[in-house]
Amino acid sequence: MHNYELVVIIHPDLDDEAIEQALDRIRGWIIESGGSIDKTDKWGKRRMSYEIQKQNEGIYYLLEVSMPPTSIAELERNMTILEPVMRHMVVAK
Amino acid sequence: MANETKARARSGGSEQRPGRRYNTRYVRKPRYCQFCSDKTLVIDYKNTTLLRKFTTEEGKIRPRRQSGTCAKHQRTVAREIKRARHIALLPFTGGTWEEKIR
Repeated sequence: MHNYELVVIIHPDLDDEAIEQALDRIRGWIIESGGSIDKTDKWGKRRMSYEIQKQNEGIYYLLEVSMPPTSIAELERNMTILEPVMRHMVVAK
Repeated sequence: MANETKARARSGGSEQRPGRRYNTRYVRKPRYCQFCSDKTLVIDYKNTTLLRKFTTEEGKIRPRRQSGTCAKHQRTVAREIKRARHIALLPFTGGTWEEKIR
């Protein structure tokens, strides 16, 4: 088990319910692989430095996660497929 | 060094001597790395106000000769700037230029 920071940028036009749904799916994948979520930090809607998917704003979430390193690749692959997530980044702490 | 300046003054300074190794007029400021002197300062991709000091106005990473950081910390600064760029906290290019257009 290693500690990771996971930053997710979610599409700004979504309502709270859809955001929560997307986050729950991410949390589900982490728990499924035997990890746990230590902290969820909402940065809220922020202006981005450049456009992503024709959007100037994004909803930022920071998750502090501990999970086995072997399942990181799968998590990243899942997140690229997940539609509401415009951009994600996993950083080892 | 003092000898050489005297020699230069005597020769008038107008003639260019080939093969001179260093410029005696230029005195280098003492450099220090702000992360080495302040150990509590953590370089992190989330701290954009700090990282912005290490980028130029167009968003390029400042070279070590401008920022004054040591090699070790320059590497971490560069890494964290690249991380911040990936999640659009910092621009890849044209930070101020783009602001003017809008």
